Amino acid sequence: MSERITKEKQAEAQRLLEAAPATHLPAVSPRLLPEVPALTPEVNKQTPAVGQRVSRVDIRSHVTGATRYIDDLSFPGMLHCRILRSAHAHAKILSIDVGEARKMPGVVATLTGDEIPVNSFGSTYQDQPVLAADRVRYRGDGIVAIAAETEQQALEALAAVKVEYEPLPAVFDPLQAMEPDAPKIHRNSNVYTSKVIMRGDVEKGFEQSDRIFERRYTTQMIEHVPLEPFASIALWEPDGQLHLYSSNGRITLGRADLARTLGLPMNRIRLTATIIGGNFGGKNEIRTEPILALLAGKTGRPVKAVFTREEEFIASTTRHPLVMDYKTGVTSDGRLLARSVNLVLDGGAYASWSETTVGKASILAAGPYRIPNVRVEGHAVYTNKTVTGAMRGFGAPQVAFAYESQMDEIAHSLGMDPLEIRLLNGFEEGSASHTGQLLQAVALKDTLLMAAKRSGWMEGGR
Amino acid sequence: MHHIEVTINGVLRRAEVPPETTLLSALRDSWGLTGSKLGCDVGDCGACTVLVDGLSVNACLLLAVQADGREVVTIEGLSGFEYLHPLQAAFERLSSYQCGFCAPGMIISAKALLDENPAPTELEIREALAGNLCRCTGYTKVVDAITEVCRDHANAVGVEESA
Amino acid sequence: MRSFEYITPASLDAALEVSTRNAPHVKLLAGGTDLLVELKHTANGPKVLVDLGRVPELKGIEETSAGLRIGAMVTHTEIMESRLIAQHAPAMIAAAVTIGAVQTRNMGTIGGNLVTCVPSLDSGPVLVALDALVTVAGAKGKRQMPITEFFVGPRKTALSPDEILVDILIPAVMLGRPASFRKFGLRKGQALALVNAAASVAVEDGRIADTRIALGAVSPTVIRALQAEAIVTGKNVGDTAALREAAEMAVTEARPIDDFRASAAYRRELIAVGTFRVLEEALAGATAG
Repeated sequence: MSERITKEKQAEAQRLLEAAPATHLPAVSPRLLPEVPALTPEVNKQTPAVGQRVSRVDIRSHVTGATRYIDDLSFPGMLHCRILRSAHAHAKILSIDVGEARKMPGVVATLTGDEIPVNSFGSTYQDQPVLAADRVRYRGDGIVAIAAETEQQALEALAAVKVEYEPLPAVFDPLQAMEPDAPKIHRNSNVYTSKVIMRGDVEKGFEQSDRIFERRYTTQMIEHVPLEPFASIALWEPDGQLHLYSSNGRITLGRADLARTLGLPMNRIRLTATIIGGNFGGKNEIRTEPILALLAGKTGRPVKAVFTREEEFIASTTRHPLVMDYKTGVTSDGRLLARSVNLVLDGGAYASWSETTVGKASILAAGPYRIPNVRVEGHAVYTNKTVTGAMRGFGAPQVAFAYESQMDEIAHSLGMDPLEIRLLNGFEEGSASHTGQLLQAVALKDTLLMAAKRSGWMEGGR
Repeated sequence: MHHIEVTINGVLRRAEVPPETTLLSALRDSWGLTGSKLGCDVGDCGACTVLVDGLSVNACLLLAVQADGREVVTIEGLSGFEYLHPLQAAFERLSSYQCGFCAPGMIISAKALLDENPAPTELEIREALAGNLCRCTGYTKVVDAITEVCRDHANAVGVEESA
Repeated sequence: MRSFEYITPASLDAALEVSTRNAPHVKLLAGGTDLLVELKHTANGPKVLVDLGRVPELKGIEETSAGLRIGAMVTHTEIMESRLIAQHAPAMIAAAVTIGAVQTRNMGTIGGNLVTCVPSLDSGPVLVALDALVTVAGAKGKRQMPITEFFVGPRKTALSPDEILVDILIPAVMLGRPASFRKFGLRKGQALALVNAAASVAVEDGRIADTRIALGAVSPTVIRALQAEAIVTGKNVGDTAALREAAEMAVTEARPIDDFRASAAYRRELIAVGTFRVLEEALAGATAG
């Protein structure tokens, strides 16, 4: 299958290499395209795509460096935008002065929050300002955007912006944020979304149990760190249509948020998402798009913004840190009778995808085990930290860490094999999930046994 | 402004750049070679890896003025309309990349390795790529592709020697 | 990055002249792997950047009657590929390969590494274990000092603002002396040391006649574990118990800190393990030869 490289072929490649101009089209010659097996479905047969090894459609572009990510695009007359971010975790903004910045070399336009038609967005609750106008709630809040001829000029102009703050008490711990006297970040309570799941009677279950296990588990904040920092370009077409190029993974939601913030009908907004250089959930909402759209409108020129790596860490979203209190009652032979779980999600300064995350974490919190009595309570809490949002699994990995850790602890304490306790309690065909869904094609135990076999678990290979 | 002359992928190119311009910015903005990527901007991720006088470097940590008079090879120098570099062909065959953002830098690092050592061990391959991060974490197929290129090369050389 | 004036002097004298004239608004550019990162993140950068990349006096590795001279602008890759270093001070290669990744080693220089002077610098311990001397040049001429005096504190050296690090000398008496280096990081590549350790030994008639133990990342600068050295010196080569005792002593001589990479307690464990291993390896080198 693989093409042999003879010396002649290598020499030929070298000759062509040396003759090549510095910029050229990458290998696009049709005779070089990889062979793709025809995938013609046959009636009454499984589709031949399953089990086939196929090449990625975009792989030629990737290996030649020809893939066009947002920052690889540019347009005639394009300006570059940089954003001034908050100097405080929590503060009132007393005044914003862009007078000096406007006079800096290369600066074409500035933008502040009071110039944004509807200065709020969010995938669930619209609680996040596009640019903070009167209050900052975390260090990632943008305050002023500057469009200049070069990125360097925009950067230098940021230093000339004067912002007066009145610092407010800040809270960085979600449990402290739930206390009655904690600083309030948005409204009367910092708890902004909750979920409760009940099945059976946990108190009765605990009474019937021989042993009770209790422990708190915590997980940390994680940034997605896509190799490509978030980037977008905005330009207005002569027909009055706003055209955005963005490394945004949810373009339909993005258009809705844009329409709302800009006060434009959706059909006047075109959002082109190119190949994204890594998303993992961190590029699932708009970030700089409305800012660029307004700056492009002010200047009549295309405007681009690319996050710095620091902005990617502080001004994108991250994975929710969770504080997870687990209490589980078991019989002395290892049967789970009751489990209560209390989850507190550090929601950061704005809601983003927290509602989805609280939901998924709560639904999955008791684990894939048959437990007659379950109670789960999950709360997302505002803190003055980087916004937490979508990331691979929406809360599922965090609770999996907790319930699997506790299963091991229970097994260890009862003198059971960790595999045995899972086989004894695991979901089976027809089991009901903790929210009452009847499960089909449940491969949990088969998978566990296969993994045990392959790893030599039975023979003590652990 | 500084006038610089750099041989890029075999062609002498000129530009006027402010001194704080990195080689990466010059490649991308002055010469339109956008294959090399800005990932971390601090020399950790390797997405901007290019060869300067045959050695792999982070183009984000080299000033364009420092490259004056030197030879630079970027990902664009490895393929043409009618040909792919054997490494590119192998990475393509194995679909070694997902989002692809790390690919240009990683392929340049792989080329730097094979230029020095045509028969590396797996450990040597992994060590040679330690400065190229893939956040989709698809390293296995990258190592496989490089191994395949080395094997094909060894086979080709072996066939000719016995003939 | 803030803008600056960029100057490429072609000689050491020219470099000294331009840096003295523009002091204190000057930064010297060596490999740039630390400096460019710093310049990208500071609001008050230098007015003048002096690129030492074309100064011939700072380059090259050569053997002289005084010892092995390594120019400050020699890259880590050049150290790894140097036959002279492989012959006379191979532990320097063991240290160089642990620095950053290929790209970092191709750009970064030994002089830059020493001048940056972070506590975890990987070039430091082996040079301390080999009694290296450094030469610095200033307007008033050159001066030489032991490398332990060059390291003053975290990111602080004995260089005055108008001076340039010229070269590093491994004294002739230390050439070929068995030495070893170990680094513990969170990963193998692109990692700062949690603890690094180096040792050199001189063995005469089955006895350890002289010992150097150097530890990095466990104190404000690279330190010598003098009390641990005293335990080992004079013992027989096969005295493993003495090495263990020295390893425990080295722990008490260091002042490791808690930070986000590792706890002080974990670092203390690593100091003991690292000290024991570098002594063991250096002694293995001594007896094998």
